Amino acid sequence: METPGSNSVFGLAALEHIDALYGYAMTLTRDKTEAEDLVQETYLRAVRAANHPAPEGNLKAWLFVVMRNAWFNIARHKHHGLQLFQFEADEPTGGIANDASSNPHVVYLRKLERQQIHEAIDKLPDAYREIVVLRDLEGFSYHEIATVLNCPAGTVMSRLGRARGKLREALSQRQKVHRLYG
Amino acid sequence: MRNCDDIRERLALYLDNELQGDERAAVEAHTQSCQSCASFVEKERAFLNAIRSSGPLHVAPPSLQTKVGAIVNGPKTAASASWRQWILPVAAGLLVLLLPVVVWRVVRQPTRPENGAPSAFALMAAESHLRHTRGHLPLEVESSNPQHISEWFTNKVGFNVKLPSYQESSGQEILYTLEGARLVGFQNDYAAYVSYHMKDRLISLVITSELLARPSGGEEIASRGLRFHYNAIDGLKVITWSDRGLTYALVSDLEERGQQSCIVCHQGTKDQDFIEPLKPH
Repeated sequence: METPGSNSVFGLAALEHIDALYGYAMTLTRDKTEAEDLVQETYLRAVRAANHPAPEGNLKAWLFVVMRNAWFNIARHKHHGLQLFQFEADEPTGGIANDASSNPHVVYLRKLERQQIHEAIDKLPDAYREIVVLRDLEGFSYHEIATVLNCPAGTVMSRLGRARGKLREALSQRQKVHRLYG
Repeated sequence: MRNCDDIRERLALYLDNELQGDERAAVEAHTQSCQSCASFVEKERAFLNAIRSSGPLHVAPPSLQTKVGAIVNGPKTAASASWRQWILPVAAGLLVLLLPVVVWRVVRQPTRPENGAPSAFALMAAESHLRHTRGHLPLEVESSNPQHISEWFTNKVGFNVKLPSYQESSGQEILYTLEGARLVGFQNDYAAYVSYHMKDRLISLVITSELLARPSGGEEIASRGLRFHYNAIDGLKVITWSDRGLTYALVSDLEERGQQSCIVCHQGTKDQDFIEPLKPH
């Protein structure tokens, strides 16, 4: 008998988001093995629930909701003690220099910049890293993020502002160090 | 008119495409008349573009893709398990019977690998096209002027962006229009993403250095000294070619197969030498 998940249209559409889901799983777990387990658990749950309507027809956002719920369950069983809601008030705003340059090493600098951005995102507190990944790397709208995080859209806006402030500050510090020793 | 503090409070909403209608227009009107806020917007935009263009943090390993593929394709039943017991011997028998036919076909057409796997560059171009059509890859510059777009890429990518100008230089009728551009990540570097519109269809052009990507795979056709590779990826047509140090990938959802999809954009040309090799024989 064919299960809902064996529907090839659903399967192909869901598989399209595997890289995004693995990236989000790495954001939540910070561990490759746990991230792989979480991705598989997410797809298992999605296959079982595939006949349920996705929120506003957005399959990707729905898969992210499934993953986040699965992670909460797994973490609860393992007594991880999630740290998903860290807030810091009034983050300072930094700035990054306009990186347009006529330097012949511009390609090298771009690679360096990308590496620095990834490292800076990785070092953000969990809640901030999560919201930057959802908005700036995965392109979700505020409304979709609010659905995934199960919080008001206003919280999305304020947390995103603080997360970007921290990221801006971290990148600004790295640029200063790079100028001193580069 | 709103003051600067009011505008800057709403800047994140504006840059995240969360403002619509009058609210969006108010921010744009203010930044056109306020140099300080315009500069602030550009710095914020550059910061966000740097983050968004930095590419994915992680990519799912192939072993995970295999496992998940098995999950979404449904559980294997007892019937399918017994099916596996006899399918291998049957397949081996068929292979022995069909091998001479396969070898004969390969020998007969040694220079036309029609079904090679798409290149990583073609796959990236198709992915970028899909993300843009879904609104997840907004343009960083909007202009219908090819010169403006080329200049925008100066110092952003490690090569000079030369947009194809066949439509303009050949005198053919105007069938498609330039929409805008942005940066996309490829091979730990930036590639140029350019968007066109043809009626209500979106066409994407992705450009990188020939040093980073060479066209390969798919159906290969030579025309005017160039070699075009045609791939079908996720229902999209992807055409890749190299010219003067750059490699291009053109992505569309045209239904036409292979080189016939070229005729859709070049149907207005009077240049029979260009169009004839593309027609079906």
